[in-house]
Amino acid sequence: MNIVVCVKQVPDTATERKLRPDDKTIDREAAEGVINEICEYAVEEALRLKEAHGGEVTVLTMGPSKATDTIRKALAMGADKAVHLVDDALHGSDGLQTSYALAQVLKKIGFDVVILGSESTDARMGTLAAMLAERLDAPQLSLANKVEIDGSTIRIQRLTDYGFDRVEASLPAVVSVVEKINEPRYPSFKGIMAAKKKPVETLSVADAEIDAAKVGLASAATEVVDFAVAPPRAAGTIVKDEGDGGVKVAEFLASKKFV
Amino acid sequence: MDFSLPESARAVRDGIGEICARYDMDYWQRCEAEKRWPEEVWEELAKGGWLGLAVPEEYGGGGQGLLELTVATETLSAGGSAGGSAFTYVLTPGFGALTLTRHGSEWQRREILPRLAAGTMETCFALTEPDAGSNALAISTSARRDGDDFLIKGQKIWITGVQRAEWMLLVTRTIPAAEARPRTNGLTVFLVNVPEAVAAGTLSYQAIPKMGANTTPSNMVFLDDVRVPADRVVGRVDQGAAVLWDILNPERILLGASSVGGAEVALRVACDYARERVVFGRPIGANQAVAFPLAQVKAKIELARLMLYKAAWLFDNREPCGTEANIGKLTAAQAAWEAADQAFQVHGGMAYSLEYPVARLLTDARIGKVAPVTEELLLNYLATQVLGLPRGF
Ligand SMILES: Cc1cc2nc3c(=O)[nH]c(=O)nc-3n(C[C@H](O)[C@H](O)[C@H](O)COP(=O)(O)OP(=O)(O)OC[C@H]3O[C@@H](n4cnc5c(N)ncnc54)[C@H](O)[C@@H]3O)c2cc1C
Repeated sequence: MNIVVCVKQVPDTATERKLRPDDKTIDREAAEGVINEICEYAVEEALRLKEAHGGEVTVLTMGPSKATDTIRKALAMGADKAVHLVDDALHGSDGLQTSYALAQVLKKIGFDVVILGSESTDARMGTLAAMLAERLDAPQLSLANKVEIDGSTIRIQRLTDYGFDRVEASLPAVVSVVEKINEPRYPSFKGIMAAKKKPVETLSVADAEIDAAKVGLASAATEVVDFAVAPPRAAGTIVKDEGDGGVKVAEFLASKKFV
Repeated sequence: MDFSLPESARAVRDGIGEICARYDMDYWQRCEAEKRWPEEVWEELAKGGWLGLAVPEEYGGGGQGLLELTVATETLSAGGSAGGSAFTYVLTPGFGALTLTRHGSEWQRREILPRLAAGTMETCFALTEPDAGSNALAISTSARRDGDDFLIKGQKIWITGVQRAEWMLLVTRTIPAAEARPRTNGLTVFLVNVPEAVAAGTLSYQAIPKMGANTTPSNMVFLDDVRVPADRVVGRVDQGAAVLWDILNPERILLGASSVGGAEVALRVACDYARERVVFGRPIGANQAVAFPLAQVKAKIELARLMLYKAAWLFDNREPCGTEANIGKLTAAQAAWEAADQAFQVHGGMAYSLEYPVARLLTDARIGKVAPVTEELLLNYLATQVLGLPRGF
C-alpha cells in the first residue's frame, strides 16, 4: 500500500509567534520550526497502517528548506522516504493554493491513502484535507480517531460532538486524524541514524507541474488585511462563596449568555 | 582538531531530549518523593534502543561507545532527573554493557548483552565495603576455590540497584590485600546472579535510608559463601584490576556527565527565577551580584563537559583516560554543587520550600563530591600521578 502522510513544519508554539510586517505572512525565520504536533499522530497512524498491511510510507512536506528538520523527524519515526516541495514561488500561499500544490505532487507520486493531521497550529484552518480530497477527486474521511483498512475499503470513526460517526469509503482516500487516535512513538536511536540516509526528493514548482501563477501571495484568494497583537487577558472575577456562590456563578453565566 | 559531536552522539541528544520533553521536572520530583524507579522513562529508553547504545550490534545494541552514553546521561539529567539519571545510565548501560563488551567472555556476552540492550535485564556493581571505600584496594571480601566453583564471603556497602539487578559485578580478593604484590594484584571480578544467590540463601541485602537519590535504593550486601562457577569470572583470576579500571573510569565519566546535566537543571531553575522574581522594582537577575555567579557556573559547566567528552573519546579509542576522567569528574561535581548552591541563593527563602526543586538539586549535587570517588582522592591522583608530588599514603 502506498501511504502518503502530509507533514507541516510550524513555528514552535512554545515561543512567541509573529507575522511579518512587510507581507503579513507568518514569520518562519523568527521562531524555531518544529513538526506540527498533530502531524506526529498522522505519521504514527501511517506507520501502523504500514505495519498492518505492508507497503511504504512517504512523507510529503511543502515548506521552506529548513523544513528538512521536520522531514527527518518523520523519517526517524520510521517513514521510508520523503518528498519536499520547496520553491520561493510558494511563499504566502493560502489554503486553496496549498491544496492545489500538494494535489499536483500527489497526482505525480500516486497514493492509496493520504493522511493528514486535522489542522496546523499556525494557520488553524483545518480545511486542507477537504480541499485535497476535492482536488484529487477522492473520498474525504475527516477527524478520524480510528482508521481501519480492509482490502480496498477504508473505515474510520469520525469524532463528533455527540460521540462518533462511522464513515466508510473505498480507496484511494484522504484521511485527517485527531490527537485521540494514537500515541506517537519516539524516534529510536536506529531510526534517527537511518533517517539521515533515507531518500528525500526535492521538487520545485516546475518539477511538480504546478502553475506558478496559481500559487504564492500575489494570487492568493485570501488576504490578511491587518493584524494586531492580542490584548492582554483581563483579570478574572473572584467570587467569594458566602452561601450565595451558586447564584453568583449562575448570574455570571447568564450575563455571558452561557445559560 | 574536530570538536563537533559525531552524528551518533547528536542523535542521542535529540532522541533522549524528546523523551525528556514529555517527562518534566514534576515527574522527577514525584519519583524522588515516592522513592520509585522512573519506570515510564526506563521503558521509553529501552524501546528506543537508548539503553543498549554501547552494546555491539551483533548483540542487539547500537554499536556505539562511552561518548554516546555520556551524552545520554547528561541529556537525561539536564531534562530534569538531575542526579537520578546517574543510576539510570551507570548501573546497567555503564557497569553491565560496557564492562562485558570489553572484558566479558563469549558466553557472558551472549547470555547478558542482548537482554541489557533490550532493557529487560539490569546489573549493579559492588566494590565498596564498610572498611574499604576510598582505599578500595583494601577490600577483604574473599573468593576461594571449591572444585570448579568459587565461594565468596564478605560484606559490601552502598551497593546501588541490587533490588532490580539480575547480575552483580562483584569485586573480590583472591589474594588477601596484605599479601598482594603489587597491591593491585589478586583482585578478581565475578558475575553473581543475584536472584539465584538470594534463593540459595547466601546473599542478602538491606537498603540504607538515604538523604536523596531515592529513585534507586543503595544497600548493605551480605555474602555468605555465595557459590559462583568459574566461567563467571570477568577477565582473569587475580588480574581483576584491569577490569576494575575499565569500570571505574567510565563510572567517573558517566557520573560526571550526570553532574553536568544536574548543573544545567539547577542553572535553568535559577535563571528562570532570577528573571521573574522582582525585588526593589527590578528582576533580581538584573543585579550583577546575582547574575555573575550564574555566568561563572555556566563557564565551569562547559569546561567540565568538554573534559568529560574528551575522556570518553579517549576511552572509546582505548587510550589511557584516567587523568581526563578524574579532571572531568572533579570539575563536573564542583560545577553541579555551585550551580545548586547558587540556585538556592537566588531563590532566597523559597529555596527552603519543598514546592521548589532546589532541595532535590542540592542533595543530588552534593553526593557528586563524594561518590563514586571523593574530591580528595581525585585531587590526590592529580597531585601524585600528574604532578609527581610525593605520596602521603
Ligand atoms: C548514594 C551512594 C551510592 C553508592 N553506590 C555505590 C555502588 O553502587 N557500588 C559501590 O561499590 N559503591 C557505591 N558507593 C560508595 C562510594 O563509592 C564510597 O562512598 C566512596 O568511594 C567513598 O568511600 P567512603 O564512603 O568509604 O569514604 P572514606 O574512604 O571513609 O572517606 C571519608 C573521608 O575521608 C577522606 N579521605 C580518606 N583518605 C584520605 C586521604 N588520604 N587524604 C585526604 N582525604 C582522605 C575522603 O576524601 C572522605 O572525605 C555509593 C555511595 C553513595 C553515597
